[in-house]
Amino acid sequence: MYDDENYDDGFDDEKLAARFNLDLWRKLFAYARRYPNQVKWLAIFAVTTAIAEVAYPLITKGVIDAANAYLDDGTDPQMWVWGLAYLACTAVLCISIGGFIWMAGRIRTHIAHDIREDGFLNLQRLSFSFFDYRPVGWLMARMTSDSERLSNILAWGLLDLVWGLTMMIGIAIAMFVMDWKLALVVFSILPFLGWISARFQRRILSSARQVRATNSRITASFNEAIMGVLTSKAFVRERANQNEFGGLTDKMQNASVTNLTHAAVYLPIVITMASLATGLALAVGGMDMLAGLIPVSTLIAFMAYTRHFFDPIEQLGHWFAEMQMAQASAERILSLIEAEPEIKDSAEVRAAIANREAVDAGSKYAMDGGEAQIREIELRNLSFAYDPAKPVLDNINLAIGTGESIAVVGPTGGGKSTLVNIICRFYEPSQGTVLIDGVDYRNRSLHWLQSNIGMVLQNAHVFSGPILENIRYGRLEASDAEVIEAAKIAGAHDFIVEFPEGYETDAGESGSRLSAGQKQLISFARAILADPQILVMDEATSSVDTETEQRIQQGMQRVLAGRIALIIAHRLSTIRGADRIIVIREGRIAEQGSHEQLMAARGHYFEMYRQQSLQESSQSLTLHDPQPAG
Amino acid sequence: MNTSTTCQTQEAEGTSQYRGLWRITEGQRLRYAGAILAMALTNMCMFGAPIIGGHAIDVITKSDFAHADQWLVNLAAILPGGLSYTSYLWVAAAASLVVTALGGVFLYARGRLAALASENIARNLREALYRRLHDLRARFYDTADTGDLVQRCSSDVETLRVFLVSDVIEIGRAVIMVLCLVPILFSIHAPLAWWSLVMMPFLVAGAFVFFRQVKAVFQATDEAEGAMTATLQENLTGIRVVRAFARQSHEIERFGVRNADFRNKNYKLIQLMAYYWSISDFFAMGQLGIVLLAGGYYAMAGSLTIGDLFIFMTCESIVIWPVRQLGRVLTDSGKAVISLGRVNHILQAVEESANPAPQQGRAKGQIEVDHLVFGYGEHDEILKNLSIRIEPGETLAIVGPPGSGKTSFIRALLGLYPYRAGSISLDGHEIAHLDRFWLRAQIGVVLQDPFLYSRSIADNLAVGRPGAPQEELLQACEEAAIHSAIAGFPSGFDEMVGERGVTLSGGQRQRLALARALLKDPPVLVLDDSLSAVDTGTERLILDALQKRKGRQTTLIIAHRLSSVMHADRIMVLEQGQLVQLGSHAELAAQPGSYRRLCEIQGALDAQILADVEVGQRLNEGTAQADTENHDVR
Repeated sequence: MYDDENYDDGFDDEKLAARFNLDLWRKLFAYARRYPNQVKWLAIFAVTTAIAEVAYPLITKGVIDAANAYLDDGTDPQMWVWGLAYLACTAVLCISIGGFIWMAGRIRTHIAHDIREDGFLNLQRLSFSFFDYRPVGWLMARMTSDSERLSNILAWGLLDLVWGLTMMIGIAIAMFVMDWKLALVVFSILPFLGWISARFQRRILSSARQVRATNSRITASFNEAIMGVLTSKAFVRERANQNEFGGLTDKMQNASVTNLTHAAVYLPIVITMASLATGLALAVGGMDMLAGLIPVSTLIAFMAYTRHFFDPIEQLGHWFAEMQMAQASAERILSLIEAEPEIKDSAEVRAAIANREAVDAGSKYAMDGGEAQIREIELRNLSFAYDPAKPVLDNINLAIGTGESIAVVGPTGGGKSTLVNIICRFYEPSQGTVLIDGVDYRNRSLHWLQSNIGMVLQNAHVFSGPILENIRYGRLEASDAEVIEAAKIAGAHDFIVEFPEGYETDAGESGSRLSAGQKQLISFARAILADPQILVMDEATSSVDTETEQRIQQGMQRVLAGRIALIIAHRLSTIRGADRIIVIREGRIAEQGSHEQLMAARGHYFEMYRQQSLQESSQSLTLHDPQPAG
Repeated sequence: MNTSTTCQTQEAEGTSQYRGLWRITEGQRLRYAGAILAMALTNMCMFGAPIIGGHAIDVITKSDFAHADQWLVNLAAILPGGLSYTSYLWVAAAASLVVTALGGVFLYARGRLAALASENIARNLREALYRRLHDLRARFYDTADTGDLVQRCSSDVETLRVFLVSDVIEIGRAVIMVLCLVPILFSIHAPLAWWSLVMMPFLVAGAFVFFRQVKAVFQATDEAEGAMTATLQENLTGIRVVRAFARQSHEIERFGVRNADFRNKNYKLIQLMAYYWSISDFFAMGQLGIVLLAGGYYAMAGSLTIGDLFIFMTCESIVIWPVRQLGRVLTDSGKAVISLGRVNHILQAVEESANPAPQQGRAKGQIEVDHLVFGYGEHDEILKNLSIRIEPGETLAIVGPPGSGKTSFIRALLGLYPYRAGSISLDGHEIAHLDRFWLRAQIGVVLQDPFLYSRSIADNLAVGRPGAPQEELLQACEEAAIHSAIAGFPSGFDEMVGERGVTLSGGQRQRLALARALLKDPPVLVLDDSLSAVDTGTERLILDALQKRKGRQTTLIIAHRLSSVMHADRIMVLEQGQLVQLGSHAELAAQPGSYRRLCEIQGALDAQILADVEVGQRLNEGTAQADTENHDVR
């Protein structure tokens, strides 16, 4: 199971958190800008909240002044004015709080949604080469936790920024107007507190990262325990696994206690510093009062302000640290959203598609205006390499016509699957071209080509959900009868109807309720249903028993008619029916021709064939034919 | 990732669930008591500072030490300047600082104790879960969803942990604060003290109302998130299928619906919070307003000093926030209860039966199956009346179409699932009564879809036999024909398997699993269709190696390829859970039946192959006019 903290994806969390990256946040803020009204109202509510909070001590001061005035000379205190003021202030505060939570919620959920949407859209168009070095777990982490984390920062962080600044400015103004000397004394603590806050928050967040790292290892262990439970039982690994896991929980406990202890130290420090400010206000303000410079109400207001003055600093310190720590998440998710597919339609093709949509011109033509019918695929001087020093395919020349089935054979790692991937344009050749009816396939629509390909892979992927829907995935508009017909051809029908729920049987998570062979047959049925012009089978029936395979073979003849078929297989029975056999060794076509021709050539194919035949038949042959030719 | 099914079990409310929370705190209750005590002391200190401040304010406004705290007066008198209003002010300021700092120390103690307690509980839970997952019956996993189980062990434990570290204390905090405050306030001014409690019931009631409202929305949000994540996961793991059928727009639409649904549910949840915080703030601020105005009235009436009003206002604002937090705490506790239920689902599931007296020594490998009936559910019969005796050292091949019961037989043999009737015995001991650890130690199994641990290749092999000598390890790899592949990896045997290292092909996984089983050198070796992804050349190498080990162990081979089974001493043909044929290759090939059909299919091919070879040779030699028509077997 993938876990973020223990997988090196080229993004260094520590390094990315070292420096505040304004550009990065500016880029992400573009997501918030999609909701200009909500952002505006969020800011307004944040400001009104802060103003209301600043106003309360002033009202308290007014009440005390009024009470004192009444006590001194019986002045009408007009308490109802203050009561109304208090009520109004409370109304503003409550509406503002409800309002900003509402707005921040809107922004937060919508940004998270938009980030996921953009990510998903891009994932659907990125080339396979991207997925080669990005495990599914990596992608999942970006799309789930990262998008939540960043949208949180963008919504609540923005809120606290506006609220905090307004509140600090408001309190500062109120204090300076009341007694600027006293205000200066209280303010002297400010930089110190800000510094401590930022430092501690970073420490807390960084020990939190330790916790996350260990936690994801624990989660991975649980995952492994569940996935591998039969193996662990079969090898009596229970106690050994538990001992190893014990080491991990030790680590987790330590990391977690450390993190919580950091937090437990931080809070008292902040509170003590705040009380230092309150103490200073009491002593210095009390002296001012003794000197007759300020009334007691001002002293009380000051002491109230000092208690709240540090909240925004604490909050800002927290968000600043969180933003820095989250920069790695931001970089990762932007790398996903901004990645450009290596393989995509050229500008000309896109123009042609747009054009074609404008003038609908009969079904003879494909969406890109080219011919819909594929008559021939030609590989010309085709080479491919992930690493230029080690070519996987080297100067391949091959033409395949409609109605022809080609078997590709050769040792593992020889480049068979790569060849298929290039024909399907999951990868593009490093050199040379693939021509469809004489046109470079880079000048045709990618979507058109791929919707004309049906693929069956060795590791057949089956989605969770009913078997019926799994097969129907090949052609979404197919009727149930058509689905069943395809399943029959694929040899899947028999075992499907044996399930109590037949075609409605849930395949389970990634097809977990089916055997490997059953999954292959279902994915085969899916490809048949798709009715593609090009059918690709990469070890498509390796887990199917011989008798079933034989039955499939018979149905295949009908299916293959009029299509281009590419078959990769080990079993001779699968191979020898092909019209042409290509032997690929070390990235080159070593031999090609019909079965008979290759047998006659006595080359690699002949050797392979002979070896397998001897192995498969040494005994059975003696039964059937006591005098084997030799 | 699906949480819906699991919550239902916990739907019913009741105190019993909260009792469950109480139970898991066992062993840590002293720490919790310490934490709560520390918090009470913190509260005392936190109220101390405003009281000192309020009295100081009275001292200077009234220019009278009558309201002063006597111990501060005594302290101020010691100062060089002697007792004055100024010296009293400084002493009071210093005292409030010291008192707060002391409160900080208690606050730290509280945090630390709560951390130790909750982390201990979380750790115990994790270890219990992990242990339980290993000891559960295999049947438990038939219906379980991996993602959901992992979630129970990770995020549900985390929910509980968060609840235990902060919320338990938080509930105590609100209660203790109010309890501490009430006597203080009443001792100062009883009528105002009554006023200062007026809104509290509303706040608490509001918290409960919110708790009830939010529960269903929370669950809906969780489910929507699960659905969204599941759709995403499906898409990403099946990305090749999506591309191969050019279903991108279909997928985008599907994900779009789930994504928007999660967004909307989550948004709705936050809207509820917006209402709650807004309304609860109204009560909270209203409470403070009542204290202020009533206090102002009493001050004018002369029964309350300004300093005491200050004390009331400040203490009240300290207390009101934790009370207001109750809504969140209650919500969290509701979630914790649900999580605990989900965790208990695993902790209370049925374990494999206790082991009888442990067996010693190495089995001979004689397996006797007598009228075995086996099935997974209540009524299905996967194996019907199977009987066979397998001698030590024998190689038995098992063939049959999918669903004929081949794998089920292996599972019954390993004691992973109980059988319904009949018996299986190893060396004459009924396996249902054997120590399961000993039984499984006697059997080396290579599963159809082998599982490898995400560790190094060497570590994966060592699972077969920990501490096996290097040469035996190498030999097992040679025999499984995986040695050269391992040698080709950048770090050889130290290469990590999985996402942090090499991604092995299906054939390589099977061969590595085979090497692991061979290294175990068990009395019984079982290959469950475990060469299907291996190419025929390699398969031959492996079969040759197995041939050389013949007699060393009883071997069961499940396979589809004739080449894999034909050299076995005996071949068992299963069809729909019944033994239909049993005998050597020669015997079975001679009698009509499904095995002969298998031979015929492959035999026809083989005949063809030989003919082809012959023709090829002739053609090559240019001696014959190849009559290709003849060779078309189809």
